[in-house]
Amino acid sequence: MSVLHRHRSLQLLLLLTPGVGYLLFFFGTPLLSALVGSFQLEDGTFTLNWYQCIFTRASTLRGLSTSIYYGTMPVLLSLTLSVPLSLLLRRSFLGRKLFSGLYKLPLAVPGIIVGLMVIVVFERGGFFDRLLAPIGFTLPKLVRDDWGIGVILAGAWKQVPFMTLIITSAFAAIPEDIRHAARSLGASRLKTFLFVDIPLAMPGITAAILLTFIGSMSSFAIPDIVGPPTARPLSVLMVQEFKQGRFEQVYAMGMVLSLFAIIVLLAYYSLTSRIGHDSRKGEQS
Amino acid sequence: MMSELEIRNLTKHYGETRVLHPVSLSVERGEFVTILGPSGCGKSTLLRILMGISEASGGEIHLAGKRLDLAPPEARDIAMVFQSYALFPHMSVAKNLGFGLKMKNVPKDERAKRIAHVVDICNLHGLLDRMPRQLSGGQQQRVALARAVVMQPSLLLFDEPLSNLDAKLRDSLRHDLVALHRRIGTTSLYVTHDQAEAMAMSDRIVVMNAGRIVEIGTPLELYRSPRHVFTAQFLGQTNLLTVEASGTGGRLPWGQVITLDRPATGTAQVSLRPENIAIIADENGVATVSSVAFLGATLFYTMEIGTLSLKVSQAGGVDPLSVGTRVSFDLAGPVHLLDHLPMAEAA
Ligand SMILES: Nc1ncnc2c1ncn2[C@@H]1O[C@H](COP(=O)(O)OP(=O)(O)O)[C@@H](O)[C@H]1O
Ligand SMILES: [Mg+2]
Repeated sequence: MSVLHRHRSLQLLLLLTPGVGYLLFFFGTPLLSALVGSFQLEDGTFTLNWYQCIFTRASTLRGLSTSIYYGTMPVLLSLTLSVPLSLLLRRSFLGRKLFSGLYKLPLAVPGIIVGLMVIVVFERGGFFDRLLAPIGFTLPKLVRDDWGIGVILAGAWKQVPFMTLIITSAFAAIPEDIRHAARSLGASRLKTFLFVDIPLAMPGITAAILLTFIGSMSSFAIPDIVGPPTARPLSVLMVQEFKQGRFEQVYAMGMVLSLFAIIVLLAYYSLTSRIGHDSRKGEQS
Repeated sequence: MMSELEIRNLTKHYGETRVLHPVSLSVERGEFVTILGPSGCGKSTLLRILMGISEASGGEIHLAGKRLDLAPPEARDIAMVFQSYALFPHMSVAKNLGFGLKMKNVPKDERAKRIAHVVDICNLHGLLDRMPRQLSGGQQQRVALARAVVMQPSLLLFDEPLSNLDAKLRDSLRHDLVALHRRIGTTSLYVTHDQAEAMAMSDRIVVMNAGRIVEIGTPLELYRSPRHVFTAQFLGQTNLLTVEASGTGGRLPWGQVITLDRPATGTAQVSLRPENIAIIADENGVATVSSVAFLGATLFYTMEIGTLSLKVSQAGGVDPLSVGTRVSFDLAGPVHLLDHLPMAEAA
């Protein structure tokens, strides 16, 4: 016991073990074993072969760019919908309570259902097509099309509520007086929005962008069901490799995908800490 | 001739609740007018309507001869100092000060000149590069003031700007504000629930209660000869008593005969300020001291006369009388008679 009393850091370490140990064990161990696996041949010798495959084979290179594409486009689409939606939710209108409850519904719907819904509704010969047929319209190809429009629509449908939720609370955190002060100092509604609301809500907006980006980059069900067979993102390729028992290749792909997510997160942290630093230092106009 | 600011029959209701009954008020150019009233009486609502953030349900506002209430806030030539300061947290002090000028497209060198000037008069030297969160409450409020003053507006609005500060800072900023107004002379409308603040700063005070203007006057008028019971009670301490009046003579409840400052007949109400009652220890006196509070500069007593109790104050230089002492008292000068008006007609 006296050893413990003398060494405060040891004492602390022991106290932290349950929490930190849990994290290390359940997150660190799988990640580490995947990392190790991605550098091994079947017999356990070291190799860079799996990574080489990813960055030389046409299908995996395409997979990487498709992952980035499917990560980015739904986020951009959701953003253009979520910001106006958040502004709408800030105002009071008839039925606002009902609406602010309803718009969150897609949060509860699993990706695979969303994918199936998109197929039922947008596929040629689907719901909309049959609705439009009598008046002489045919739906453009939205499901399994080359541009992955269906994937982007389905992804956005799923992300808009989450993004709106975060951005709404970012806007709500801005005190009303600050906006009123801007108006009384001669800023129109638009300028108040651009120079006051947006910069103050920026941390929330960036967080929403990054989280949805990471989510949609690694989503599997939607691109697998709704996406074109010509361009498969890494997440879908991983499952294909997995089914063929090439675990090391799956590990390597997973590492690349994780690395990407980590880079994006690090970029976010450095960006926000720099904003924080700038504003602490202040700058003169 | 029209006043600088004219508010005519302004009303505001939220659904069924009336927040402002018809309110009319004119403010002369360069005047410093305070709206004084208890919390919830509609002061902020009035300012928000003036600013254009909230829409009136009826009435008109004119500023410098032009109809104001139809313009959006950014076109109103009004600047406001908020209770919460409302500084832009993501901008340095310099940028906060320059924001409005930029929005109004003031050229850069003119901007610099005007900022330098307010930095001078609001004593903000050395703070320009700081962010708002690096400033103390008093400094933040001075920046908020400077940000409004730099606009050189036709009208300055203040919504309880000092109420978040501690007593000492409040006093010193109050003096700074008065000095600043004397220097720049901008027409100002200042809202507060603090009667001492209103008395110390204002050319005129507008007393408000429950969405109505009760009474308007200079601090001296309102303190010495208020028309309404509410004013008498809200500005300073007072004793409200009923008298049986006939001409300028009146009889107090305990039989004492007094002189009134105006003639009246029948039952009437008077306001007797504590400092206008002089007491001395007297074994044959009609009153008994029931409590004593020594506040430094003043001594504050309550005394009982039968079932009535009266507040009395005295300069604090003398030794306090102890509780239970029998006293007699004199009233200095004629006693002030209040109007017999129901609230609704007081305005
Ligand atoms: N948006 C609103 N809806 C309903 N009532 C309101 C609203 N805003 C203010 N009020 C009411 O109006 C009255 C006056 O409020 P306010 O002007 O803020 O008072 P003050 O500034 O004098 O304390 C209060 O009783 C308040 O409850
Ligand atoms: Mg208020």
